Amino acid sequence: MMAGDGTLALAALLLHATAFLVLAIAAPLRRLGRPAAYVSILCAAGSLAAAVLSWRAHTGEAISRLVWTWLPSEGQTLATVGVLADADSTVMLTLVALVALLVQVYSLGYLSDERAPSLGRYYAYQSLFAFSMMGLVLAPNFVQLFICWELVGLCSYLLIGFWYERPAAARAALKAFWITKTGDVGLLIGIVLIWRHTGTFDLTEMRVLAGNGAIPLAGLSVMTFCIYLGAVGKSAQFPLHIWLPDAMEGPTPVSALIHAATMVTAGVYLLHRTDWLFALTPDVLAIVVWVGAFTALLSAVLACVQNDIKRVLAYSTISQLSYMMAAIGAGFSGAGFLHLLTHGVFKALLFLGAGAIIHAVHSNDLPDMGRLARRMPQTAIVFTVGALSLAGLPLFAGFLSKEEILGAVLAGGFAAPFAMLVLVAFLTAFYMFRVVFLAFFAAPPAGHAGAAAASGAPHVADASHHASHGAAAHEPHEPPSSMLLPLWVLALLSVATGVFFTVVHPEPEFESPAWLMPVGVGSAVAGILLAWATYQRRAIDAASLAAAFGPIYRGALARFWIDAVFERAYRLALLGFSRLVGWIDRYLVDGVLNVLSAWTVQAGDDLRTMQTGRVQDYVYGIAVGLLVLLLWVQFN
Amino acid sequence: MTFETLTLLVPELALFALAVVVLLIGAVRSSAYVGRGPLAEVSRGPAGWTTLLGLGATFILTFTVREGASLLDGAFVQDSLALFAKRLFLASAAISLLGSLTLRTGAFSRRSAEYHFALVASLLGMSVVASARELVLLFVGFELMSIPLFLMTGFLKREAVVPEAALKFFLVGTASSAMIVYGMSFVYGVAGSTMLSDIPPPLRDGPPLLMLGMAILLAGLGFKIAAFPFHMWAPDTYEAASPPFVAWLSVAPKAAGFVVIIRLYLAGVGTAALVWTPVIAVLAGMTMVTGNLMAIPQRNIKRLLAYSGIAHIGYMLVGLAALSSSGVAMMLFYLVAYTFGNMGAFLVVQAVAQSEQSDGIDAYRGLAQRSPLLALAMLLFLLSLGGIPFVAGFWAKLYVFWAAVERGMYGLVFLGAVLTVVALYYYLLVARRMYIDAPERPEPVQVPGLLGVAIVACVIGVVGMGLYPAPWVTLAQRVASTLFS
Repeated sequence: MMAGDGTLALAALLLHATAFLVLAIAAPLRRLGRPAAYVSILCAAGSLAAAVLSWRAHTGEAISRLVWTWLPSEGQTLATVGVLADADSTVMLTLVALVALLVQVYSLGYLSDERAPSLGRYYAYQSLFAFSMMGLVLAPNFVQLFICWELVGLCSYLLIGFWYERPAAARAALKAFWITKTGDVGLLIGIVLIWRHTGTFDLTEMRVLAGNGAIPLAGLSVMTFCIYLGAVGKSAQFPLHIWLPDAMEGPTPVSALIHAATMVTAGVYLLHRTDWLFALTPDVLAIVVWVGAFTALLSAVLACVQNDIKRVLAYSTISQLSYMMAAIGAGFSGAGFLHLLTHGVFKALLFLGAGAIIHAVHSNDLPDMGRLARRMPQTAIVFTVGALSLAGLPLFAGFLSKEEILGAVLAGGFAAPFAMLVLVAFLTAFYMFRVVFLAFFAAPPAGHAGAAAASGAPHVADASHHASHGAAAHEPHEPPSSMLLPLWVLALLSVATGVFFTVVHPEPEFESPAWLMPVGVGSAVAGILLAWATYQRRAIDAASLAAAFGPIYRGALARFWIDAVFERAYRLALLGFSRLVGWIDRYLVDGVLNVLSAWTVQAGDDLRTMQTGRVQDYVYGIAVGLLVLLLWVQFN
Repeated sequence: MTFETLTLLVPELALFALAVVVLLIGAVRSSAYVGRGPLAEVSRGPAGWTTLLGLGATFILTFTVREGASLLDGAFVQDSLALFAKRLFLASAAISLLGSLTLRTGAFSRRSAEYHFALVASLLGMSVVASARELVLLFVGFELMSIPLFLMTGFLKREAVVPEAALKFFLVGTASSAMIVYGMSFVYGVAGSTMLSDIPPPLRDGPPLLMLGMAILLAGLGFKIAAFPFHMWAPDTYEAASPPFVAWLSVAPKAAGFVVIIRLYLAGVGTAALVWTPVIAVLAGMTMVTGNLMAIPQRNIKRLLAYSGIAHIGYMLVGLAALSSSGVAMMLFYLVAYTFGNMGAFLVVQAVAQSEQSDGIDAYRGLAQRSPLLALAMLLFLLSLGGIPFVAGFWAKLYVFWAAVERGMYGLVFLGAVLTVVALYYYLLVARRMYIDAPERPEPVQVPGLLGVAIVACVIGVVGMGLYPAPWVTLAQRVASTLFS
């Protein structure tokens, strides 16, 4: 009974809030570093237990709402706070709780060189993030959703810029903040418009209205499009995807939690959560499919040419998020949501695995790696499991969900996006196994005698950070057990879900042709084979492969000039506009305001003369006031 | 006097008994005063501690009273408004008491019983005011409330400025009492009865003499709540009196004044009382303007808070001017938010004043570096008073403005919103002293334990109401709805 009424979901949420409050208020504890981490991890473990129990209690159609009035207004409730626990939100809650816990454990090893006060600060941010993300997942209405949406954005900003002494990190944090904020403005406008349109913020009430056909369709497309804009920013859809690769300036565990498994999926989750609303506006859904397919292809191509292992994963995340978006746009949001869950597990695994490599070789760059499988066999195994899951081979986590997405887009009648997504499946396998072979199996290129060379000229966040604790060259080695344990848990989960879904193979809600699975698996295998032939066997020369795709290759190296265009647009349009506004502000608005405020201050000074300090004058004041009052009341 | 009558009067009887006990303690203690040694801490306390416990007990006893009951043919009611007000008086008095127990000045030790007796007597007066629905009882209540306040203002008579301020307060207060009783005589003359239920509603087409009397009464009540132009006593009084007392003075008597205004002018009259809307609206506007503008040039934190308090009275009058159930409800919500924010600010003033021997705004230089938690508390209070989101004052202002907008009073709301910006200027001026300026001395400000408890209580109130205003809003709506049904 306890579990069925949302109490456990609430407990999962509040445990993280408790951890944050304890760390925020008890400053001495926070400055101790590791004890603060233990507090946070303990709460995260409890939270995971509560989340799992709550998930078990909310299978099928079971829904529980536990809400309190937050902003009452005359006769009705304007906004509530609380939890809306159902099958979708509790399974998402479990994912967040699981990855949050594993990342917190992993960070113990990864950030072991961090100074104690900043380690405490790190765990405080982590707890705040987990709380906000859970609040977003369980939000019963748009108001709570938006507040939590902004809070996770804030945490993302704080954690990307965690090493704020480094200018690149500070700049990336700022870039992430203002680009996602662009989308957030759309979301806020959309929420307010929807509220004016339907008279409620509440998701359940709105859903009932939508079910009864009581939401007028006129103008609804604008509103859903505005909401979609929020998702474009958060889930890194073209053209607002450019913040995510730069967000890799944060510590790798942060990238795993926030920029792969949870926060960036918030946009997808939002669309899934309100799919009944989007179903009313098919024109917007079509935009979602096309933008999704295009972003997926664009970022998959970009991932093929990156040398920084974290950037490969970042573009891969964008690509996979776009996969989910495409399925949602095709009208089958369940498929997108399933991929969100499996992707959350194996992408966290890949990021944490990449973190283990970076921890060992003190570099993010693929040429600095090579033959690492000999030195760190366990990392090699779990990372390969992650790569196979991402490629979507049978018996691994991504298999069913990727196939469902392809089927969904095809069933939705989007042939061209389907073809693009199949191509993406091929590219995904290729770029992922390019990383696997270059990092773990192939010999390092000449001139890069291994990891140690990198510490001379580190240029990426984690690398330079790790290099700082001693430039002395040492052999790469397996990470400590606090880092290995989360890796194995995630790897086993990837395989377990993969095996489960391959064996059970639940029927999707749409018809898909028999040739779909062979095509999906075939393109993935082809991608792996091409990567093997190019980077392991060297049967195909990587340079001539690049030359064959000349313009695309050069374009991809330059990120298709999108960042440059944004940079230029930012310089010219935004800064130009800002200068204009700044001029108006400085000379016109400020001028007027300065006069006004000078008058205000002057008025205050003048009024002071009224306060003579003589009691006679006080009584005169009262008498005059009384007289005016009398005259008014008598002659009004 | 049946037993049931007694149960209705439980809070008042408890306060009366408490007053007698405190007076007796004073009589015993004054002969046996021990002035030094570790026992001095305890020995000077009994009157204060007894009062504190008594207030707590009375607060609990208010919950035993059957809500909505009345006595003496309706001259004395324990309706939800009365009980709401009494709980506010008691809670604010308790917070103030926690602060005053830590005062180091000799007079508070030697004549502790006198001070606390005056406090309890004034509380009793307020309780009567909150319940009275009869003119004579109302007047007696007002006098019982006010006279101890004059005494308490002049309690530290050794400093020259104190008796002067107390005398001013007394003289102006007497003038206002005279006006109240004068206005009442007109009302009685027209109605032929002193019962509020017998007085015809003061409407536009009502008898002119009645309107005259009500106008004079409003001027007298304007003094109690320190609305423009009856506000001039406030800054002088606040500056001279001890901060924990001022914290209470700036809240409780004003709440009592508001209760009476609601009873006389709004309750049960509904929209028919529209004639008072422009009057109260103009009072509100003028009070907001004067309070906010005159706060700007102040260099003394107590005077600054005095003027800012006057401005807040203006905002509360905006809620009253809306003349609706929601307007009154939001004004009550505002009152609670203001209670926490303003009392908290004055308690911080006490801590700094004790440590720095100064009430100047300059004494707050670098407070954030010296005592970060104290500075944070003060910042929260200032932000709440300024109306920044997620602290109590924001919802208070929003709700009050909302109620006024519902009545189409856009001009007043616009004025109020603009003045909010002005208010932020002088609140943040203090914040700048605390957070940006460098400290003159490095050592932290000493905060006595009890004072810390009181400050923390106010912080919890301000932040709690800011994060989750719903319970307070529903409470205020419930209280207001009984008046307009």
